[in-house]
Amino acid sequence: MAERHDDPPITEIEALRAPARSDATRRQLTERILAAAEPLLARRREPVSSWDVLAGWARPGLVAASIALLLAAGALLTGRMGQPPAEPVTLDEVLALSESGEAPALLVSFNEPSAEAFAAAALMEGAPSADAIESVNRGEINER
Amino acid sequence: MTAREGVSPAHDEPFLVERVRQGDGQAYGTLVERYSDQAFAVAYGFLQHAEDAEDLVQDAFIRALEKIDSLGRGSLFGPWFYRLLVNAALNRRKYLARRQTQEVPDAVAGHESPVADADRAELRRQLAGALSSLPTDLEAVVILHDLEGFKHPEIAKILAIPEGTSRSHLWKARRQLRDRLQEFRRPD
Repeated sequence: MAERHDDPPITEIEALRAPARSDATRRQLTERILAAAEPLLARRREPVSSWDVLAGWARPGLVAASIALLLAAGALLTGRMGQPPAEPVTLDEVLALSESGEAPALLVSFNEPSAEAFAAAALMEGAPSADAIESVNRGEINER
Repeated sequence: MTAREGVSPAHDEPFLVERVRQGDGQAYGTLVERYSDQAFAVAYGFLQHAEDAEDLVQDAFIRALEKIDSLGRGSLFGPWFYRLLVNAALNRRKYLARRQTQEVPDAVAGHESPVADADRAELRRQLAGALSSLPTDLEAVVILHDLEGFKHPEIAKILAIPEGTSRSHLWKARRQLRDRLQEFRRPD
């Protein structure tokens, strides 16, 4: 394949070559470039304070923190959503004695019961009185 | 200054680049003086207009300064800079093509008879048209190799292509150019 790439150059293409330039023209271009570059070079010469370094990191830091926050929130939400919802239980079921005669079934609720409701349950001990049930029914225990 | 000097490893270049990173104008000036002539020739090859080529060289040097931190430590400035320049030249030509004033290409020297000058101008017009009608990668290779004397290993570094690709691009480019210039060629 060597000869395949030995195709001779097109001689006429020389006509497109850049014209010779005088020293003055070349110097002018160099000076123009250096003048245009000076503000950029000056900025590079400025001393960098530690605050500037920190500021330089601030933006990526904020972006990273936002991403971490979003990921954490996402993980929390999907975790919550993955859990089966609590089964609602009627108060009668809760307060009913178990077959073995032990304590009533546990209450399923997202809200903690009030101290008064606990006191009422403690006073009931054994067969709950109608009054005690009534006091609980008045809203001191959330059924959910 | 030859093309080969422009991209061959210079002992002081990593040092110069490091100093430019610190804002050293003298180091930057050394790089500008080292590369501006060759850069002008390459830019001219693409644009065929001296003022546009000078503007392009200036823009490429400024862009190089802006991006100098992205040049790897110990990497050569030359191939990296020429890559910026070639990309800028291709973009500039697209922009100029939209502007399209179809100026008469400059550097039509008036040393010969008016007929010869007219022939030369026509040849240049044809060549420039044929060259710019090539796919950009072929055009870049033919300008760098046939017009500016870069070697294939250097072109491969500048255009970030394998050396073999540079060779085959040149072969294809010459064939396509020959086909397009066939009608214009004068019988000897």
